[in-house]
Amino acid sequence: MIKLENFTFTYPEEKDSALSDLSFEVPTGQFWGLIGPNGAGKSTLCYALSGMIPHYFRGTLSGEISVAGIDVPRSSLGEMTGQVGLVFQNPFNQISGSRFTIRGEVALGLENLGVPRSEIEERVHETLEHAGLAELGERSPFALSGGQQQRLAIASILVMRPRVLILDEPTSQLDPVGTHEVFTLLDELVGQENTTILIAEHKLERLADFADNILVLNHGRIAANGAPSSVLTDPLIEAIGVQPTRYTQAARAAKERNLIEMDKELPVTLSDARGYFRETAV
Amino acid sequence: MKLQFELISFSYPGDVQALVDLSLTIEPGERIALVGENGAGKSTLAKHMNGLLKPDQGHVLVGGEDTRQTTVARLAHYVGYVFQNPDEQLFSSTVRDEVSFGPRNLGFSEAEVDQKVEAALEAVGLIESLDQHPYDLLRSERKLLGIASIYAMDTSVLVLDEPTMGLDLFGIRKVSNLLHECFSAGKTVILISHDLDFCAEHVERYIIMADGKIQLDAGIDSAFEDLEMLAFAGLEPPQLARLAQSLGFKSTPGTVDEFLDLYEKWLEKK
Amino acid sequence: MSTPTLYISRDSSLHRAHPLSKLALIGLAIVAGATLPDPLWILAVYALFLIPLALAGGVLRNFLRSSLLLIWPFALSLFLIQGFFAPGQQILLQIGPLTLKLEGLLLAADYTARILVWLSAVVLLMLITRPDHLMLALTQRGLPDQIGYIILTALQIIPRFQMRAETILDSQRARGLETEGNLLQRLRALIPLAAPLILSSILELDERAIALEARGFTHAGKRTSLAQLHDTSSQVALRWFLLIVILALIAGRIAGWSLP
Repeated sequence: MIKLENFTFTYPEEKDSALSDLSFEVPTGQFWGLIGPNGAGKSTLCYALSGMIPHYFRGTLSGEISVAGIDVPRSSLGEMTGQVGLVFQNPFNQISGSRFTIRGEVALGLENLGVPRSEIEERVHETLEHAGLAELGERSPFALSGGQQQRLAIASILVMRPRVLILDEPTSQLDPVGTHEVFTLLDELVGQENTTILIAEHKLERLADFADNILVLNHGRIAANGAPSSVLTDPLIEAIGVQPTRYTQAARAAKERNLIEMDKELPVTLSDARGYFRETAV
Repeated sequence: MKLQFELISFSYPGDVQALVDLSLTIEPGERIALVGENGAGKSTLAKHMNGLLKPDQGHVLVGGEDTRQTTVARLAHYVGYVFQNPDEQLFSSTVRDEVSFGPRNLGFSEAEVDQKVEAALEAVGLIESLDQHPYDLLRSERKLLGIASIYAMDTSVLVLDEPTMGLDLFGIRKVSNLLHECFSAGKTVILISHDLDFCAEHVERYIIMADGKIQLDAGIDSAFEDLEMLAFAGLEPPQLARLAQSLGFKSTPGTVDEFLDLYEKWLEKK
Repeated sequence: MSTPTLYISRDSSLHRAHPLSKLALIGLAIVAGATLPDPLWILAVYALFLIPLALAGGVLRNFLRSSLLLIWPFALSLFLIQGFFAPGQQILLQIGPLTLKLEGLLLAADYTARILVWLSAVVLLMLITRPDHLMLALTQRGLPDQIGYIILTALQIIPRFQMRAETILDSQRARGLETEGNLLQRLRALIPLAAPLILSSILELDERAIALEARGFTHAGKRTSLAQLHDTSSQVALRWFLLIVILALIAGRIAGWSLP
């Protein structure tokens, strides 16, 4: 569903490439996490996967990038709209402002695409149910909490039934409740719709619960690519500036203090850690 | 600089009550986390500390002085407030000028201003960027710049609203470094943060808010016991606290080292 | 915080009417306010046309309150200024060198009546019409989509910038910026207040544009609409009738109804 081969991109007037020689492949229906320090190129990659690069942001690129079967550089942005969705950090910037109800807001994308009215009504209803926003249908998009607004942003994209959904740190500005709401929605999505999802995130504990695979970016290059249990416990990520879970950090420190002898896989989540510290006691 | 809130109530115009009959005392040098869902009243409470908001009822005393009898500009000598979004305060053409703004307003001499500016930028690791334009910095660096701009004012109380939001591990370490400098200097530090793991590594007192009231005001050992109340406040305990709870530890660790100390004791018992 | 438009939702026949019908009724009131020669006629437009409409729409209290709130500063300044300074012979009152003249008061009454009708007509339109439905009606008739979008967004997004401006003000005050005081101090405060507002808004323009792009904003081809506007042939007839009356009023004005 997503395929990159030696993909390189440089912003105009920049010496260094923002992304260098990226090659990876995301199978259909998988949920991938994208992690890396600030400035690694996560946002740039999200823009490239959604077609904003090169169709909105100019720059020089080389290599291959194909998303949802579309050759991104050689197609138009119009072809990508509706196939690939992009959600980013700030919920407020994603609200169009031209609709006065949530229902209207979600319908906007379909209206722009010229979908017949009866179909719009049906799909909006379905999407609002999925996103848990059905009761708030007549409310103003601005009268929502951050978590609700972010779910609205996701719903507004989902209604267009994209095959790929790219999210750039969607929970960064949300409180724990909002974060939970967003991850729950995404989890359901993968279960039901077989949408391919790639999410750039800092909150590793959440990612570990949901992700099939983790991609690590540093200085515009891929630093690691593998299963959450191995990537999220790799000392590499802390070295490049990604905060591991405290469980991983505690386990690593316990080994250094010689409190743990066995060479078991380091924990990432609470349940991993519970088992780790109980069972592997010296 | 002692902070006292005496039965304060506050509503935004045309809105529901944001703070209800709230009382609180903060002694000099305390390290506090102010936590809760968005809308619980954390920022509203914090803005009473430097006079940006004045209570509808009750009194707020900063160093014994009622905030109603003084101005925000004067209180800025004692209470520094770091807002969440640095892009909503940056306006200068160099990093140096930006950080100098606060201390200059407070009336320090140019020599003192330079010294404080450099110390603040050292603390957040931006000393190399003195002559850069703030908008040439990454968003995460601008966040650190925003923090440095208030730190340079050298106030005895520092309030930070979501200081680690959007930062990677390196950025978080810089904030941590700055906080440790504050602690060494005996400053009072108040963190408003959703990142409870970060809070647990730096504070000793948790003020948990929901619905405009303080639900719980306690140290780490009792703050995370009542899971039902925490759920009501929209919170989950920090990761190490949860782990310690599930392993049955008697007290609650804030840092990895504290956890391991408890773990060692737990092992010895086995 | 809800949207700051004045629209009040009611189940009235006026609310159910097509937005263009409402626009036509209000348009009539505004043209009448501009063309009718006699203040009494204009007040009749307010009392016998706008007020019954407000009643029919179930928004009478809001309408009256808003009209009053809007008109009194105009009324006050007009009566004082015209009363004391317009030329005239019939002196009613003398206060030192100032003389209050009847002609001035009559002039003020005329202007006040017109402004009252204009302002309250617009208020009434906003009270009974959903802005997005009005825009839909206009874009269906040929108003470019972009303009409709800009107007609607202005109604909703600009007030949010107000909140941002307040945050900026708070941030800078917390850094010791003096915002009160003499002119020089206030001028000095301009850049720290204006620059972050402009800069932060520009920074977000890209994100907004991309978000709109992702929702098919620049998609070529016909747009559909979830909202349905109901029109009836009697309303169409009414609108034509109103248009004729409007043209008649304008003709009357041109023909020489004398204005003071």
